[in-house]
Amino acid sequence: MSAKPDFFRYYKKSYLTIILIGIFVWSLFAVQWNSDLIHAGGFVTIMQMLGALFQPDFSKEILELAIESTWITLSYAVAGMTLAFIIAFVLGVLASGILFGESRISILMKSFFRGLLGFLRAIHELVWAWIFVASFGLSPYAAIFALALPYGGILGRIFADMLTDVPKEPIEALNSTGASKFQVLLYGYLPMVKTNILSYTMYRFECSIRSSAIMSFVGLGGLGYQIQLSLDDLQYDEVWTFIYFLIAIVVLIDLWSSQLRNKLNAPSKHWFVPFSSILTVFLVAGSWGYVYFVDKASFLALFSQENLAYAKKFFAGMLGIGEENPAFLDRESWSNALLLTYDTLRMSIMAIGFSTIVMFLTVIPAARNVANGTLTLAPKWYSWISFGFIRLCYIFSRAIPELVWAMMIIFILKPGILPGAIALALHNFGILGKLCAEVIEDLDERPIRHLSSSGASKAQILMYGVIPSVLPQFLTYILYRWEVIMRTTIVVGFVGAGGLGQQFKLSMSFFHYTDLTLLLFCYLILVWISDYISEWARKTAR
Amino acid sequence: MASENIIEVQKLHVGFERKIALSSLSFSIQKGERVALIGPSGAGKTTLLNTLATFITPTEGELQITGLNHQDSKNRKKLAKKIGMIRQQFDLVSPLPVIHNVLAGRLADWGFFKSLFSLLVPQEKTLAMKALDRVGLKDKLYARTSTLSGGEQQRVALARLLVQKPEIILADEPVASLDPARAEDVLSILAKLVTEENQTLIASLHSVEYAKKYFTRVIALRDGEIFFDLPSEKIEDQNLAALYELKGKS
Repeated sequence: MSAKPDFFRYYKKSYLTIILIGIFVWSLFAVQWNSDLIHAGGFVTIMQMLGALFQPDFSKEILELAIESTWITLSYAVAGMTLAFIIAFVLGVLASGILFGESRISILMKSFFRGLLGFLRAIHELVWAWIFVASFGLSPYAAIFALALPYGGILGRIFADMLTDVPKEPIEALNSTGASKFQVLLYGYLPMVKTNILSYTMYRFECSIRSSAIMSFVGLGGLGYQIQLSLDDLQYDEVWTFIYFLIAIVVLIDLWSSQLRNKLNAPSKHWFVPFSSILTVFLVAGSWGYVYFVDKASFLALFSQENLAYAKKFFAGMLGIGEENPAFLDRESWSNALLLTYDTLRMSIMAIGFSTIVMFLTVIPAARNVANGTLTLAPKWYSWISFGFIRLCYIFSRAIPELVWAMMIIFILKPGILPGAIALALHNFGILGKLCAEVIEDLDERPIRHLSSSGASKAQILMYGVIPSVLPQFLTYILYRWEVIMRTTIVVGFVGAGGLGQQFKLSMSFFHYTDLTLLLFCYLILVWISDYISEWARKTAR
Repeated sequence: MASENIIEVQKLHVGFERKIALSSLSFSIQKGERVALIGPSGAGKTTLLNTLATFITPTEGELQITGLNHQDSKNRKKLAKKIGMIRQQFDLVSPLPVIHNVLAGRLADWGFFKSLFSLLVPQEKTLAMKALDRVGLKDKLYARTSTLSGGEQQRVALARLLVQKPEIILADEPVASLDPARAEDVLSILAKLVTEENQTLIASLHSVEYAKKYFTRVIALRDGEIFFDLPSEKIEDQNLAALYELKGKS
């Protein structure tokens, strides 16, 4: 009788769903829900911000400033991505293990490089920026390196996976001709993964623009810096001007990258591909030229005696050398840090919970096949209006980095976990919504149509046809975004939105370097645990 | 009352833009008949089935289904009581357990809360179990539908039809993607169930052999017109040769 194990397998998923909902509800208890959460003038501020949304400042000076800042943001992103690509390529090839044999040392080498990539990836770019600014001072290279390392880690990991997933037959054929490992790489592996590597790099390029914008928060120029200045001056109309520029550049890069990815995968060559190559060369040359000649940032000056002394002092401080009572050996510091870690964990869960709820409320009308009525067989005149409106909200939500959301929310809500969770949710519901709407668009329509023709109502079609088909994919995306949110919690903390990040910034300002080490350690553990849990949950759901 | 007409078609004409898909078809089908639609690809079999299912409105002519007036055909719930469809196995919700796919045949009668609750605690479980038992899948109640083979999935679709209990079953290439052994299996179950429930079956098929074996009557279509309409035992090889003959030769 095989019905019994089937029965349990089916309900395992329901249990998982109930557990996940329970965890979300539990995270809500981290906040004292009362009117004390909002600043005295919070509602007035909201109205002012919303009012300014429709009346951005388009005066000549502001526009010039915005264009200049946009270029700075773009050039740091491009320069950072070029370095990231080189790092990712070298480490990715090493981490894939294709240059090594099967011996024990080779396997050890392979896992070492995998671990290195994981480490680069685990630390958020803004934390890297803090470290680089502390050791190099306010140089554009601090921003560029801070982008290059985590993006190098992300890209490198994916490159390594792509190289290991290459079909084995052509490689074996090359091996049998007596080609060396290096020749096999050049003639076998690289030609097979070239398109995928380019596509993925282009996809990540869009994210790097947003990361570059927030680099400004450690004092480096760009759009984020201007947003911060205008916010401090309470000039909300200027804030929105800069945000519109940020959205515009993100949307433009997104369009370019998705077009290029389409054309790269097309069977025949399209003019767009050589055009993009020329554009890339132009952008890379322009960015590095700008950093070198206009910003006058000398690369060698980074390694001056003075900087070396700073860096030495910084890292010695982090390791607690010469410190009588380093925080990571202190019991009280530990209990304090662990408490913050716990808060941060709850913040991340609250954030993903909020974004999931908003996503579920909006995703159905946001799917193209629902809007045009093919899925439900019931087109409505308002379908396209709600489709357009929700998609616009998604773009808005996605293009504005969580840090910028946090800075605005901190004007409305008092510092704590809730503003952090809301800021993270505001940025993530757009991403989640877009991903999940695409899942619905890719749905097999035949079972849905059948339900419709056998007399099921709209709600029944949703319950029996749409939700069971899309839920596993949704869960994967939700867990994946949760991992990303976990990494970003530290960043929203920087502007006072609670958790480990807030303490990190305080310790930084007081030069309590050993505290930083302890906090970073807790943060890394949290990131590692969340990766592990999400992997487990995804396997269970399968 | 064996001679009660359930479907009456008169001078039915369906066109898409300028192309004619069906031209002046007239026939009537009695309750309890098992009709096979055969003919070369593009002859209009699927269009005819979709027209009978009222998904397509005929350009000209009349379609009468006993007990179903024009208003009723707009009401999907009432329509579902009259007409059930079965296609290739692709119309099951594959991540759902088998039981819910079978019970989907009851959705027309269920309200919102009952349907929602049933996903947690299956309702009318004995009904679903009986239906699955009749198609020989008693032990697959909670199996994920996507883990079943093509033939088993098609039997799940049959169980769903049993639960839905329409008076007329329209089957569009129900065995097109199955191997011969599975195809015979599914068709024999389908024919048996239809006889037991005194339902009317109209199915489009590629194989003339199956049409003769499991159906009482065969309507052959060619270029949107009826080429012949005969009881299955009266079909002879020369009819078939002419039906499938390539146009250029004739």
